[in-house]
Amino acid sequence: MTFFLLILPPLLAALLAWLVRPYRSWVGWVNASLSLGSLVAALVLAAQAMNAATAPTWGFAMGSLNLEDALRVDSLAALILICVAFVATLTLFLSPGVGGSKRFNAAHLRRYQIFINLFIAAMLLAAAANNVGVMWIAIEATTIFSAFLIPLRLTKASVEASWKYILLGSVGIALAFAGTVLAYFDFFAFFGRVETALNWSELVTMAPRLQPEVMQLAFVFLVIGYGAKAGIAPMHTWKPDAYGEAPPTLTALMSSALFAVAMYAIIRWKTVVDVTLQDHYTDNLLLALGLFSLVVAAFSVVLATNYKRMLAYSSIEHTGLICLGLALGPLGVFAGLLHLFNHTAAKSMMFLLVDTIEQRYPTPLIASTRGLLKTLPWTGALFAIGLLILIGLPPGAIFISEYGIFRAGFLRDQPWLMGAALLLLAIVFVAFINHMNHMLYGETPAEVTGGERFNWRLALLLPSVIVLVVLGLTLPAPLATLLNQSVAIIAPGN
Amino acid sequence: MNTALFAQLVTLSSSVVLLFGITLLWRRSLTAYIDAFRWQSLVLSVLFVLIGYYSNDPELYLVAVFFFALKVIVLPIYLRRLQARVKVVNEIEPYINIATSLILAGLLVLLAYAVTRPLVAVSTLPTRGGLPLAMGLIFVGLLVVVTRKKALTQIVGFLVMENGIALLAALGTYGVPFIIELGVFLDVLMGFLVMQVFVYHIYGTFESIDVNQLSELKH
Repeated sequence: MTFFLLILPPLLAALLAWLVRPYRSWVGWVNASLSLGSLVAALVLAAQAMNAATAPTWGFAMGSLNLEDALRVDSLAALILICVAFVATLTLFLSPGVGGSKRFNAAHLRRYQIFINLFIAAMLLAAAANNVGVMWIAIEATTIFSAFLIPLRLTKASVEASWKYILLGSVGIALAFAGTVLAYFDFFAFFGRVETALNWSELVTMAPRLQPEVMQLAFVFLVIGYGAKAGIAPMHTWKPDAYGEAPPTLTALMSSALFAVAMYAIIRWKTVVDVTLQDHYTDNLLLALGLFSLVVAAFSVVLATNYKRMLAYSSIEHTGLICLGLALGPLGVFAGLLHLFNHTAAKSMMFLLVDTIEQRYPTPLIASTRGLLKTLPWTGALFAIGLLILIGLPPGAIFISEYGIFRAGFLRDQPWLMGAALLLLAIVFVAFINHMNHMLYGETPAEVTGGERFNWRLALLLPSVIVLVVLGLTLPAPLATLLNQSVAIIAPGN
Repeated sequence: MNTALFAQLVTLSSSVVLLFGITLLWRRSLTAYIDAFRWQSLVLSVLFVLIGYYSNDPELYLVAVFFFALKVIVLPIYLRRLQARVKVVNEIEPYINIATSLILAGLLVLLAYAVTRPLVAVSTLPTRGGLPLAMGLIFVGLLVVVTRKKALTQIVGFLVMENGIALLAALGTYGVPFIIELGVFLDVLMGFLVMQVFVYHIYGTFESIDVNQLSELKH
C-alpha cells in the first residue's frame, strides 16, 4: 500500500500536467503538493524497514510474468528514497512556473512538469526495486526523461550537452545491462531457470555459490555502466556539460537524487559480488576510480570559469570521495553513505540557489558574476554557506563525513592513498575559496539589478541548511540506525 | 533436434551476426549501415526462434516476434526516414581509417575470447560456443559509437551494441525473464525516439549532424 503512495503521486502529477493544456500555475502547485505524498511514504517505509524484522516488499505473479517481491525497501533503499523524495519535493516547489517566474513559455512549462515528474517516478522506482532488472529499466528511463528536459530552450550548447548526455548515458546503461545479464548467466549456469533470480535478495543469498570469475567480469561492466550514470571519472565527461546547460532545477535533481540512485545501483551489485568473491576486488576497483575522479575534479575546479561547471566538478570530487569510502570497510561505508546523504542535501540546495542567481546575472561566468552579496544578500549568503560546507569546512556535515572516510582509510593502512586524496582536497579547497571570493565581492555589473527581500522560496531552503549544520554537530538516532543497518547490509560480518 | 547440429547452427548464426556488425566498420554509406543492422536483426530473430524450438520455450517465440517487429521493421523505417529528412548519403569520415578500425575489431574479438573464457567454462549449454562472438559484437558496437562522427551512425552503432547484448542473453541464459525483456524493448524504443528527436535538433541548430561540430562546451 505504502508503495503505491510512493510512486503514484509523481505519475498522477505527470498525467495532470499532460491533460491541462496550456500550462497553468495551479498545476505546478498541485504537483508540488502531490510530491509530499511520496516524501511521507518514503519516511513511513524507512520507519517500517528500520523496525521490522523483514523489509517491506511488494510484487505479483501472473502467469509467466513473475514479479514476486519486485519492490523491497530495506534500510539502504529507504535512505536513498528519503534523499530522492526530499529533493523532489524541494525542487517541485521551487520549479519555474510555480512562483511566477517569466522565463519559460507555457509549452515549455508543460513539458517540464510532465517529464520532471516522470523522471522522479523512475528514480523512486529504481531505489525501491528489488528486481535488478526492474532497477535497470527504471534507471534507463531516467536518462530518457531527463534528456528531454536539458534543452528546454534550444541552443547550440544545450543540444550538444544533451547529445553527449544521452549517448554516454545510453551506452553506459547498455553496458550495465550486459553486466546484469552476465550475473544472471552465472546464476543460470548453477541453478537453471528461476524467474525470481534477478531479485536482489535472492542473488545475495545464492552469491556464495556463484562462479567468482564471471562475477568479476560482470562487476566491471556494472561499474562502468552505472558509473557513467553517476559520473565517476573517466566516464564523467557529460556531467559538466549537462549541469551547465540544463535548467538549474533539473540539475538540482540530477546532481543529488539521480546521482544517489546510480551510486545505489553500484552499492547493490558490490554487495552481491563481495559475497561471491570474499576478497578486495571491488574495493580496489572503487579505490582506483575514486582517486582518479579526485584528480580529474581537482584540476578541473582550478581551471573552471563557469560556476555551474565548477559545481559539476565538485560533484565529481564528491563522487570520488564516496567511492573511496565505500571501498574502505564498514567504517568507510558508514562515512561514505553519510557523505552521500550530506552531498544530496548540499548540492541540491546549491543548484536551487543557482536558479535564483541565474535570473539576475546574464552569464554563468565566474568573472562576470560579481558582487553577489550586494545584489542578492540572502541568496548570496546561503550560496556562500553552501560552498563552505561543500569544501568540508567544520562545523558542516560534509566535514564530519570526510573525516570519517579519511579515518577509515588511515585505519586500513592506506596512508599514501589517503595522503594523495587529502592533497587533492586541499587543491579543491583553495580553488573554491578563490572562485567564491570572485563571486561574492566586487562591483556588481551595471546591467544587473540589485536588492532582494527574504521570501518563502528562500525559507524552503532553510531546512537544508539546518540539516547540514545539525549533522555536522550530532548524528540523530534514527539516521544513525538507518546508516548502521545499511552498513550491515553492504558489509555483513566484517 | 540433434544437439551437435543445434550447436553448429548457433555458432554459425552468431558468426553471421558478428560479421554484420563488422560490416559497419568498412562500409561508408549510411544506407549500408541501416541494411547491415536490419540483416543482423533478422538473423538474430531467426536465432531466437531456433533456440526457442530447441529448448522448447514458447516465450522465446514471442521475444523473436517483438524483436523482429522492432528491429527489422520499425527502427529501420525510422532510420530511413531520418536519413531522408536530414539528407545524409555518404558522409562517414571516421576518426580512424577503415584499415585501422578493422584491425582494432580483430583485436577486440580476440579480447572478447579472452574475457569470456570463464563464461564458456561455466556454461553447459550447447550455445556456449557463441558467447565470445556476442561479447565481440558488444565491443565492435562500442567501437563504432566511439570512432564515428555522425550522430546517425553513432545511433546505429549503439543499436548494434544492444543486439550484442541481446545475443549474449539468448546464448548464455536462453533470454532474460520475459518481463525484463519487455522493459528492455520499451526502453530501446523510447531511447531511440529521444535520439531521433535530438538528431533533428542537431540538424536544426547546427545545419549538420557531424558531432565534430559539437565542441562549444569547454571548461
